[in-house]
Amino acid sequence: MSGGLTLLTGTLDDCTVSRREALRYLGVRTEAPPELELMLDRAAELLKTCAALKACYTRLPLTISGDTLDFGAFRLESKALKKNLDGCCESFLFAATLGVGADRQILRLSKAEPAFAAVFDAYCSAAVEGWCNYVNAQLAEQETLCPRFSPGYGDVPLSLQRDVLAALDAQRKLGITLSDTYFMTPTKSVTAFVGIG
Amino acid sequence: MNIAERLRARRTYFDGGMGTLLQKQGLQPGDLPETWNLTHPQILEEIHLAYMEAGANVITSNTFGANRLKCDDLESTIRAAYDNLARAKARFSGDKDEIFLAFDVGPLGKMLRPLGDFPFEAAVAVFGESIRVAADCGFDLILIETMSDLYETKAAVLAAKENCDLPIVVTNAYDESGHLLTGADVPAVVATLEGLGVTALGANCSLGPRQMKTIAAQYVQCASLPVVINPNAGLPQVKDGKTTFDVDADEFSDLMREMAILGVCALGGCCGTTPDYIRKTVQKTRDLPFSLSESKRDTVVASYTHALSLSGVPKLIGERINPTGKQKLQAALQARDLGYLVREGIAQQDAGAHILDVNVGLGGVDEASLLPEAVAELQSVIDLPLQIDTVRPAALERALRVYNGKPLINSVNAKEESLETVLPLAKKYGGVLIALTIGEDGIPDTAAGRCALAQKIIDRAAQYGIDKKDIVVDPLCMAVSSDDNAARVTLESIRLIRDTLGVHTCLGVSNVSFALPERQDINAAFLAMALQNGLSCAIMNPCSADMMRAYRCYCMLQGFDPHCESYIAFAQTHPHKAIDAPAAAAPQSDDGETLPPLTYAVVKGLRDQAASQAKSLLGTTAPLDLINDQIIPALNLVGDRFQNGRIFLPQLLMSAEAASAAFDVVSAKLPRTKGKKEKILLATVQGDIHDIGKNIVKVLLQSYGYDVIDLGKDVPPQRVVDAAKETGATLVGLSALMTTTLDSMAQTVSLLKEQLPAVRVMVGGAVLTQSYADLIGADGYSKDAMGAVALAKRFFPAS
Repeated sequence: MSGGLTLLTGTLDDCTVSRREALRYLGVRTEAPPELELMLDRAAELLKTCAALKACYTRLPLTISGDTLDFGAFRLESKALKKNLDGCCESFLFAATLGVGADRQILRLSKAEPAFAAVFDAYCSAAVEGWCNYVNAQLAEQETLCPRFSPGYGDVPLSLQRDVLAALDAQRKLGITLSDTYFMTPTKSVTAFVGIG
Repeated sequence: MNIAERLRARRTYFDGGMGTLLQKQGLQPGDLPETWNLTHPQILEEIHLAYMEAGANVITSNTFGANRLKCDDLESTIRAAYDNLARAKARFSGDKDEIFLAFDVGPLGKMLRPLGDFPFEAAVAVFGESIRVAADCGFDLILIETMSDLYETKAAVLAAKENCDLPIVVTNAYDESGHLLTGADVPAVVATLEGLGVTALGANCSLGPRQMKTIAAQYVQCASLPVVINPNAGLPQVKDGKTTFDVDADEFSDLMREMAILGVCALGGCCGTTPDYIRKTVQKTRDLPFSLSESKRDTVVASYTHALSLSGVPKLIGERINPTGKQKLQAALQARDLGYLVREGIAQQDAGAHILDVNVGLGGVDEASLLPEAVAELQSVIDLPLQIDTVRPAALERALRVYNGKPLINSVNAKEESLETVLPLAKKYGGVLIALTIGEDGIPDTAAGRCALAQKIIDRAAQYGIDKKDIVVDPLCMAVSSDDNAARVTLESIRLIRDTLGVHTCLGVSNVSFALPERQDINAAFLAMALQNGLSCAIMNPCSADMMRAYRCYCMLQGFDPHCESYIAFAQTHPHKAIDAPAAAAPQSDDGETLPPLTYAVVKGLRDQAASQAKSLLGTTAPLDLINDQIIPALNLVGDRFQNGRIFLPQLLMSAEAASAAFDVVSAKLPRTKGKKEKILLATVQGDIHDIGKNIVKVLLQSYGYDVIDLGKDVPPQRVVDAAKETGATLVGLSALMTTTLDSMAQTVSLLKEQLPAVRVMVGGAVLTQSYADLIGADGYSKDAMGAVALAKRFFPAS
């Protein structure tokens, strides 16, 4: 029996955005020079003006037989996800996004200020992770959880996004659409399974 | 009475939710509801009949997802949906003339370019396919609903206009802030859709009636057409694993009564609502007096985010995207370097332009393909309304199609040929027309003569159904050097046209000073005089400090600048005394190394300083020496530091931007032949929308002085080949981020090798490896952006 959909909205103040993570995306593995810190400050301010944080989750039944995972609404074969969800008989499935405003800023900055565009893009990637952590924490208040697992990792193909987004009604609820090659728009969006138990 | 008349004559009721009712009957989440048209016709018929009996007038087909992307058997699905409606109507015991069958059109589930990968015209085609079937069935109207993107809404409306004659009703889905998902607010949506000539408009889904009330009020405030409001039954909540909504039929109908009192003409429901919700809504609003919202007289243009009224503070239309007399822009257009256009646009927006004029007319370029491309590129990053400026009808039509919003159209004049070609296009696509007072005999030399021509254009436009409010008259100004009275007559015309015809005016301000010295002084004075005579929009260069000084002073003195804030901010950043270009500074020390001043500016990533240093050094140093002795060594130094992990990507890019700025200054002084740079074509392959890596490579290559032509992302293989042919580029760089798009990269490489064997191809991107690059026949592979520079140096050893 498939559960209903719960919608969440939030602000960046709800999330902890890891600057270290943003710097890692930029290839910075040591302490950041001061001018980079200033650029990250600016990225944080800018994202506040254009982000619209939304997420949506549902609770799916899970039956595992062999390498096949059956979530009711869809099924797939995956050793990696099986390992992640081993022993679970239910899983949360969520999608989270910063919204399309961040994409618009990235487009504009990439034409006007390429250096800052790279920093802003990295900051947005870190921010959507932060937003996922917030969503995850909401789920953790309800149940004991496994680590989250996203399509595209290990042997779970990106093409699964089609079923995942359909199960979450993500186009209507969050405005997330899929390209023919299974990229999500807004690009700063994440989907994930979070096993229960 | 057809539905268009019905909506204007009396309160009309739309039906409510469908999905929720089907789920109650056993439709599984994830199943396509449209399949039930064929498999469960009886259930559909009963639902439709229940809504008719509840008092709904507009009954919508179960075809929300009936398009080729989601639904296999389009024809029979749509016909079955119609039959289900028709059977219900036949059984309906009430007044059948009060029932109208709507073909329901929902979103495609694809994000259009530039945010997503789906082309605008492909969307028009997909919608068109379904609407053609529907038009053949016998529906009474097309209902385009739950659209959360203005661009996709426009695609659906165009498809409906081009494939049937039925009335079109559009309802959009807003978030709680009152914006569509892709950013448009209510006034922008209203301006765009009223321009396109829909029958009625409004909002549905996403929100409950409580949250939708402010949106409804905005609609009533700015729409001239009947407003339709179809909210959800409140907000969804999960109870015991089931989604429910938090507003019951009693509360819903109370709130809908408030909507009716606000002036909403048509009421219905969306997700979670049932026939009971509609019945109660009908009962509570039936006896309220009905009045159609009054027709709004304001002249409004819109971008994809916001509407702009031409009333109040005079508006500035940036004129710099026009190749006339601009060699750099001409070169950029010939190379199809639209990035240059975008930077001009951003500079004008930052300088205070409200609208941007877009003109790409130039001998030797195919304007009909270039103008729509330029419009698409500009509106991908600049949220100002655009003024589409061309004398070619084919270019105008294609640009109007792809424009996302309600544009200014520059221009129509009083000659028959112009009236007959431009007015039908303005009527079909919507827009505010710039009307030039030029007749068959040229420009009259009196204000009365120009006013008469303006009146003629207004009358002819009215015959096409174009409202006077959508016309802005440009009385034109000739050079005062060739006619002493030129400026005076224009000024009189502005006032006369405004006062007698009651329309807004616009004017290209800088013609007046043609062939005279110190033109900026004349232009500034003339601008102030024109504004004082009532000019609504000045077409000018907002980057000109003299013009902006006149504009800011006028606005302040006229009472348009509260607390003089804009003026003071402007004056502080634009002091009268020109700041002298800094003399070439002494060498500076950085990280233990002593660097010449320009080198230092590039190494530190100081863009403005690099440009000004280059400028002042050009007085004493040969351009090529500056490049070879100061810019290139600076880039090599930061390149080394980057490779050694002493600086990081953003700093490398800052230096590259600074070097490019210096390059621009220096290359203008290079002899033509020496200035001819090696061309490199860059593209992110088809299917891939991640282009940050490609953009970084571009910035670095440009900083080394290469002429980079950027085709953008999601580029089809043939387009890459064609561009290489057109531009003569001999090196092509391709990027791909994900494994899913590697095939597309392989195809592009093989197509290039097949059709242009002499062209070299370098590839890069997160998932690529040297061995894969070898496998697909690429000539070079680079793991990062500096590597791409090294490859370019290898392929162009002479540089």
